Amino acid sequence: MTVLWHTWVQAFPAFVGGVRVTLELTGVSLLIALVLGFLLALARLSGVGVLRGAATGVVEVIRSIPTLILLFTAYYSLPQIGITVSGFVAAVGTLGIFYATLYGEIFRGAILAVDRGQREAAQALGLSPVTSLRTVILPQAFLRILPPATNQLSNLIKDTSLVFTIGLADLMFQAYNAGASNFRYFDMFILAGVLYFACYLILSKLLARWEMNVQRQRA
Amino acid sequence: MSNDSVLRAQHLTKRFGASLVFEDVTWEVHAQEVVAIIGPSGAGKSTLIRCINGLVPFESGTLELLGYQLTGGGRGPSRAVLQDIRTRVGMVFQTFNLFPHLSVRANIMLAPMEVKRVSRGQAAHRAAELLAMVGLEAKADMYPKRLSGGEQQRVAICRALAMEPEILLFDEPTSALDPELVGDVLAAIQQLAKEGRTMILVTHEMAFAKEVADTVVFMADHRIVEQGPARQVLEHPQTDRAQQFLQRVLRPGAPLGGASPASVAGGAER
Ligand SMILES: Nc1ncnc2c1ncn2[C@@H]1O[C@H](COP(=O)(O)OP(=O)(O)OP(=O)(O)O)[C@@H](O)[C@H]1O
Ligand SMILES: [Mg+2]
Repeated sequence: MTVLWHTWVQAFPAFVGGVRVTLELTGVSLLIALVLGFLLALARLSGVGVLRGAATGVVEVIRSIPTLILLFTAYYSLPQIGITVSGFVAAVGTLGIFYATLYGEIFRGAILAVDRGQREAAQALGLSPVTSLRTVILPQAFLRILPPATNQLSNLIKDTSLVFTIGLADLMFQAYNAGASNFRYFDMFILAGVLYFACYLILSKLLARWEMNVQRQRA
Repeated sequence: MSNDSVLRAQHLTKRFGASLVFEDVTWEVHAQEVVAIIGPSGAGKSTLIRCINGLVPFESGTLELLGYQLTGGGRGPSRAVLQDIRTRVGMVFQTFNLFPHLSVRANIMLAPMEVKRVSRGQAAHRAAELLAMVGLEAKADMYPKRLSGGEQQRVAICRALAMEPEILLFDEPTSALDPELVGDVLAAIQQLAKEGRTMILVTHEMAFAKEVADTVVFMADHRIVEQGPARQVLEHPQTDRAQQFLQRVLRPGAPLGGASPASVAGGAER
């Protein structure tokens, strides 16, 4: 046990840097995923057939391709056609787009689940479609979005470890590196696992508290 | 057509796909008139009043409404026209449809602020006035789910009134309420009638219709079967179909009827 502690304390500074990279990747990817996901949801819900079809197609295709292939395509293949991107950009672009398809479906489902009477009431008051979305539909969809969005966030945090394969110094990378130098792979991966869990726990607790506050405020 | 007409429908026809909801509806409503629409379930009453504020389009015929000339079919009126009509025609739903994420006050303030750009202070002031009118000033900061159905419906009436509509539509405003809560809502509607508001209400409360309505429209079998002064249609219906219907709903314990014990309530056909 003392040995475990000792190696953990030694490795810790490098791991802190890893956690930072992991959180940065998560945060930026999440932002991209939320924005693109919202646009995808709107496109899939729109009355314009072409838009709806295109969005549905994009979602279906991207959802079905392994994330690793998307990542390698962005990082290794794009340069072959003259587009060179940094590892970070390739990673957040890939994860952002992939998770946009998942968040898009969450948003779409939550918007559709708002009672039809709500939209009618807003319409009958003369609210424009955009105003009705902003002031009536989305605030109600919000509470339905948070729980599944939190779930996906846990997957996103884990999926950031894929960047290890393109050499970004995230938590996974630091664990592997530390293991390679002190040969205590087991201890290092356990520490990394603990830190991944801690990240998820903190973020999900924050989101759960947010949800509770909103719910309490509307009671 | 007299010049104070606010609504004039001619030969309106509405279908959902292949199924006919109503046809050849010809009907006129004057300023300050209170119209009760009655008739059996599925007659198209709700659909007719939804056509009036453009919640559903109609297939043929013409509708003159608040100075607009609307014709059925085609692409329907432009979005700007529809929006203008909706801000000038208020609607109260059977299931209230209050916004659950907003306080009572915010429910009432939302549309005036968003659509008419009324200042927050002014909107709040008007909301307080309206709530006082229906006896709910103490509930302004509550959220809808804390209110009884009757209170929710009165808030919904305030929400519609806040837009200062020229016509108010009610779709069975008391049908979703427990009998003991019906009275307060009917009293609020009666108050509006006294103020001289133009109102069209779909209702199953025959006694109430007789009391507040100037005219009654009886719909059945996909059309307006009979219309005229309230007392005449309710007490001396000319058509067999109206006679049958009224007999059924006014006789307590009848197969399709079931008189409500509420003070003003006459009976309800469900
Ligand atoms: N969105 C819709 N799509 C298809 N059919 C519809 C739709 N809305 C209503 N209908 C049909 O139109 C007919 C008239 O319905 P409507 O709700 O207007 O009747 P109503 O007179 O208001 O009846 P009730 O007293 O039960 O409220 C019914 O047969 C109904 O099934
Ligand atoms: Mg109806």
